[in-house]
Amino acid sequence: MSSGSRDKSKSRSTSRGDLTEVADCVWEIARAGGMRVPGRIYADEKLLPQILSDKGLEQVVNVAHLPGVVRYSLAMPDIHWGYGFPIGGVAATDPSEGGVVSPGGVGYDINCGVRLVASTMRREDVEGHIPELVSALFRDVPCGLGSSGAIGRLSQRDVRDVMAEGARWAVTRGYGTETDLDHTEGGGCLSSADPSMVGKRAVERGRSQVGTLGSGNHFMEIGFVDEVYDEARASTFGLALGRVTLMIHSGSRGLGYQVCDDYLNVMQDAVRKYGIDLPDRQLACAPVESPEGKRYLSAMACAANYAWANRQVMMVLAKRSIGRVMKASEAELGLRLVYDVCHNIAKMERHKVSDREELLCVHRKGATRAFPGDHDEVPDCYRSAGQPVLIPGDMGTHSFVSAGTHTALDETFGSCCHGAGRVMSRTKARKAAHGRNLADELRRMGVYVTADGKATLAEEMPSAYKNVSDVVDVMDRTGIARKVVRLKPLGVVKG
Amino acid sequence: MGERPHYTEIDHTADVGVELRAHDLVSAFERAGACMFDLICPLDEIGSGWSRRVTVEGRSGDLEHLMIRWLSELLYLFTSEQVLLSRFEIEELDVGGRIVAVVHGEKMDAARHAVRVEIKAATYHSLRVDETPEGWVVRVIFDT
Repeated sequence: MSSGSRDKSKSRSTSRGDLTEVADCVWEIARAGGMRVPGRIYADEKLLPQILSDKGLEQVVNVAHLPGVVRYSLAMPDIHWGYGFPIGGVAATDPSEGGVVSPGGVGYDINCGVRLVASTMRREDVEGHIPELVSALFRDVPCGLGSSGAIGRLSQRDVRDVMAEGARWAVTRGYGTETDLDHTEGGGCLSSADPSMVGKRAVERGRSQVGTLGSGNHFMEIGFVDEVYDEARASTFGLALGRVTLMIHSGSRGLGYQVCDDYLNVMQDAVRKYGIDLPDRQLACAPVESPEGKRYLSAMACAANYAWANRQVMMVLAKRSIGRVMKASEAELGLRLVYDVCHNIAKMERHKVSDREELLCVHRKGATRAFPGDHDEVPDCYRSAGQPVLIPGDMGTHSFVSAGTHTALDETFGSCCHGAGRVMSRTKARKAAHGRNLADELRRMGVYVTADGKATLAEEMPSAYKNVSDVVDVMDRTGIARKVVRLKPLGVVKG
Repeated sequence: MGERPHYTEIDHTADVGVELRAHDLVSAFERAGACMFDLICPLDEIGSGWSRRVTVEGRSGDLEHLMIRWLSELLYLFTSEQVLLSRFEIEELDVGGRIVAVVHGEKMDAARHAVRVEIKAATYHSLRVDETPEGWVVRVIFDT
């Protein structure tokens, strides 16, 4: 009996011998078989063995099979084995050449992303209050599996408004300011959103999760700037040595997962309808210009907008929490959104292909946009510095803020890494953590952690991740994103 | 309480996966449901006082697709009803693309149930639903 498994045997494994260094820290996998473009991986000698240890590169090769893919199937230095696309994967397709959009190139957590809030508080001001601050955030921003109820249950109509308006929905209801929207990628809204393309189940799941953290690798982190690499850009971003920051990592919650699931189902039929041959069913896709492709992009935009509204509400709840603990107003604490970036998305953007500017569908799956300052999408206040790129590390070490560049625009469709990247599976991490008190270990490293579940803490322990400094350094060395500051965590809330 | 199924956890960097064996197709599907919920919360901690009849439609002759639809339906029950499932009784499995089943479980209770992992979805990546000389083999990678 056929089980529809025609695609399984076609993936090919990739070894060191398949990689050619074409520039400093840039490795190429030559076109072979059904690949339409070569693969390109950003990594140094230190990161390569980790990258070769899982199936991430095989997935770079698989993505190179997508119809209409242009220039390269790209991998950022935080690449690791995902499903369909690798995490840390970037690929752009040209709709005028039959280019496709693939829900697997965005993932289930559509517009999972990060936002960074700066403040005028000094590290010394908060050091005695960290457990109190972490408890307050944990209490005021619902965390953990299926967390709900941050702002009351929304009607279905409200959810549709959230999906159409994005972060603005929150701002018009008193959660934040116009400046917040200016400091959010795309203004916190993709105008291509069409709520009628989102199914009932997704809407239902969205009713109670605006303003909630969720679980897994999502977090809220209070930290401080512990190293400045570029004074001018840091000052433009409002970040100064020793000043306290708040970082929030979350996405579109159950609504986004449902949109992805629903459209992967649609795409299974589309692949057949358009005669698309793929090495992995999770890459199921449809031409951007097809009815299925257009419907997915409209629904995906709805989920992306929901995620922006979610992070906007979470930030406001978190700011209020901090204000209460520190017994000062937000203005007195100088709490100000630096930027909000998404790292799971497909966007229509103009990029150069063979010296011509084309409208491409850029998939970023665990990758951050990194545009230079003079790009139309970058707010005026960051013209001189470039778009802030937020790169969270693991709980125990550091996070980074970098700045987007023209090199990124020229080489990676304006994309950069999104984090440290896992090296250890969740199962291995749980085993490695067995019998250890991770919360105590982290406390000794100067980080106070509260988590909804013990398992999450184990799975997200620092040694489960690559060294984020190595990842960020590759991006800096290759000129993709310039290092601006390093952040050190003081207190973390894990979902 | 449910009975914990036998399966192997696949060592995937970002996500979790399972591989299981079953002597026939119906038990392969039932066991896949059991494995997924056992990853979320050990089945022997879940009661079975709650039940629901579910119907799942897939594509004809595409068991992989039917498997993902089945697991997605069970996950939807988990998130929408806040229910943990422990027992899966398939009444009808048509390879033409249809499953009718009665599933049993209980409402999630944070005080008693240690939820180990949030499963966002069952993916098509590396998916297997294959008949071998030794019986059926199912492999699923879950996005967590």
